[in-house]
Amino acid sequence: MSAPLLVVRDLVKKFPGVVALKNVNFDLRAGEVHALCGENGAGKSTLIKLLGGIYPHGSYEGELQVDGRPVTFRGIRDAEHAGISVITQEFALVGELSVAENIFLGRAPRLGWRVDWPEMHRRAAALLADFGLNIAPDAPVRTLGIGQKQLVEIVRAMDKKSRILVLDEPTAALTEQEVEVLLTHLRRLRALGTTCIYISHKLDEVFAIADRITVLRDGASITTLATHDATIPVVIKHMVGREITDLFPRKSRAVAAAPLADVLSVRGLSVAPAKGRPAFLRDLSFELRAGEVLGFGGLMGAGRTELLMHLFGAWGQRLGGEVTLRGQPYARPSPGESIRRGLVLASEDRRRYGLILAQEIGFNLSLSSLPEFTRFGGRIDTPAEQVRNQHFYTSLRVKAPGQHTRAGTLSGGNQQKVVLGKALMTGPTVIMLDEPTRGIDVGAKLEVYELINRLTAEGKAVILVSSELPELMGMSDRVIMLHEGVIGGEFARAEFSQEKLLAAAMGHAHAA
Amino acid sequence: MNRKQLLKTLAMPIALAAICVYFALKQPAFLSPRNFTQLLVQFSIIGTLALGMFMILLTGQIDLSVGSGVGLIGGITAVLVTEHAWSAPAAMLVAFAAALLLWSLMGTLIVKERIPSFIITLGGLLIFRGLFWFVIHSVTIQVKGAQENLYSQITTYYLPVNAGLVLALILAVAVGFLQWRARAARATHGLPVPTTARAFGRFVVTAGGIFLVTVLCNNFNGLPVTLLILTATALTVYVLTQHTPFGRYLYAIGGNEEAASLSGINVDRVLIGAYLLMGAATALTGFMQTSFQGSSGASVGELMELDAIAACVIGGTALKGGRGTVWGVLFGTLIMTTLLNGMGLDGVLPEKKLIARGVVLVLAVWLDVRLGRD
Repeated sequence: MSAPLLVVRDLVKKFPGVVALKNVNFDLRAGEVHALCGENGAGKSTLIKLLGGIYPHGSYEGELQVDGRPVTFRGIRDAEHAGISVITQEFALVGELSVAENIFLGRAPRLGWRVDWPEMHRRAAALLADFGLNIAPDAPVRTLGIGQKQLVEIVRAMDKKSRILVLDEPTAALTEQEVEVLLTHLRRLRALGTTCIYISHKLDEVFAIADRITVLRDGASITTLATHDATIPVVIKHMVGREITDLFPRKSRAVAAAPLADVLSVRGLSVAPAKGRPAFLRDLSFELRAGEVLGFGGLMGAGRTELLMHLFGAWGQRLGGEVTLRGQPYARPSPGESIRRGLVLASEDRRRYGLILAQEIGFNLSLSSLPEFTRFGGRIDTPAEQVRNQHFYTSLRVKAPGQHTRAGTLSGGNQQKVVLGKALMTGPTVIMLDEPTRGIDVGAKLEVYELINRLTAEGKAVILVSSELPELMGMSDRVIMLHEGVIGGEFARAEFSQEKLLAAAMGHAHAA
Repeated sequence: MNRKQLLKTLAMPIALAAICVYFALKQPAFLSPRNFTQLLVQFSIIGTLALGMFMILLTGQIDLSVGSGVGLIGGITAVLVTEHAWSAPAAMLVAFAAALLLWSLMGTLIVKERIPSFIITLGGLLIFRGLFWFVIHSVTIQVKGAQENLYSQITTYYLPVNAGLVLALILAVAVGFLQWRARAARATHGLPVPTTARAFGRFVVTAGGIFLVTVLCNNFNGLPVTLLILTATALTVYVLTQHTPFGRYLYAIGGNEEAASLSGINVDRVLIGAYLLMGAATALTGFMQTSFQGSSGASVGELMELDAIAACVIGGTALKGGRGTVWGVLFGTLIMTTLLNGMGLDGVLPEKKLIARGVVLVLAVWLDVRLGRD
């Protein structure tokens, strides 16, 4: 067995208020493909940024060794110099430039002070041929497919004499055929002695390519397994293996006893991102009852946010299916119409989609409810509005000097309360919450959970999207796991187990 | 209030005072009731256009076409009145409708076809100027002198002294009534209200201001009609932006268009509405500016889009949208027009006038950035 090429020892990385990596240890053997697996937020991205020099030495605790010697990266260049190239989901390619220019970006062959174009094209053509790629060196990168772009990035990394290739979700946007091509190339590179760290949610791929698998959970490395000794259920077990605490105060529901009317029913819904594109959400069917919390889980890119945004009328082109809201067919949704019909959405990205940061709390709270305060002649009854704002400001326990404080100055938890207040002021029947507790502290989280209980006790229905399985299981009456735009499994509360849910999210409903 | 904030608040009033003192010392006529009235007429013309621009800028959009629009709309009216012998009100009504049509077209192109407003209105700047020259067949159409009519009198008619005083009284009473009613409404909702003395003080200041302007104008010829047009425009824009959902939506869209849309706001409709109002303000300004110049000639309205934008920005309106007040816009306009008026009175060369306008604009924005609004 060869000596480790890269060793990661006792890595700890803290952000203000959050410990992203608690204790990460693993080693990388020369010439292997080593997979990193873990749930969303397990610390994979943080680890990669550390390896790639994006978080410089000194911003973390612990040690990195390359070839047995400790290394201290001050930036990306140092990491590249040590032979580590990170290829992320957002390509570092310039679309308007040619493939050759991109491969030699920043290090073009020169003739004195001029670029040696013939030499650059000759070398690019040779590299592409080496990889067996049928891509013209002078083609603009924007004309390439996503899979080809991925390969161009790898070609560039290889030409930089990278010894360790870090691939972060390289197949997230690829078709099955493209995945096959990529895996073939990786196997060839491995045969040539390149070492690779491979990060993917798709366990099939991991098992098809990796020699060993390290599982991360909650910022710590749990175990490293040899692929031929492991199975998918074993990996999933390691990924989730944690206990649900009593953090979730979901009250037992009297709802199940007395079946209530469906407030929202979705039949065979298929949605494309835009006109003329293939369906992304495919054949979704479910219903939501009054007083119920329906959880939606799934991995990143499974389509949870897109589903909510589409129901609300802010995303996608409906290709087929029927949506019925409070007994009425709802075929052409728009945010304004949704709010009028009692369907609201509190978005995952508060700062981008939720708030007018430069305006006051009060301005934001009443923004969706202004017609309610509009009196004769189209004038806003400001005093009535202010009283109502104050009611929500107080009952949601927003912590600020007053409702005239600007929303942009609030903490994440308080901003979330304002977003919820804005949605609730419209008097909704169906409340869709997309990651309502992301990035907020434990106290504020509890308040959000209590609010959900209060709303359902009043007979309102809640759709909860969450990436945290414990939260999803703790707060939902039913859970639907999405997997790449289709339903991967539906579970009643009695059937909840982290293994089952995660398996469904990965498209292995029957593996666990 | 710390020193920086104090400087920020007082910078513009100090600048205005300095400009006034400078011109008053150099040209004693600057302070005469006659010049004061002239200044108010110029103020009203630019102010009306700036108030329209204000609502466009609030949403984060821009309109570069209004200068050419001023020429075109004034030109259409001039041709109809002098060459086709239309009555002035009918001609103005037709030109006004034309403005609404053109601006709704631009607004629709901007929101439905997603063409940046900068490009659409830059196109408008050129196209309207070209249309304008077609309309006046590249000659100068006399509005004044040939025959007196309502159109030519927009900038030369003054309210009789007594009528002005009565109007001032009505306005003061109306403002007082509205202030009192707003205060009562707050009280019935159990909200804190300013003390009686404060509320009364505020009323005295407002009413005093109204009467001061009236009396100063009455010392010359009386209240100019243009000032009444500006007052009506300013009140409308004030109520629209501060007291209606439409106005809230302007601020919301300028602050964060995506969040506004997800809050259920019909962004497209609000933006088209803002452009329609801009068209209306452009038409009013077109009538006034053409009448003020006495004729509709090729250069009417040139660079007025920049005066309007400058007035807004000097008054604290953010070009990226979401921030600004009607008072600020009026104040910015006052600084711009005082400078223009003073330089005109002083016989400053046109080339120097242009440079001075540019310098003031850059200085004001620099101060704004330097002292930081937030």
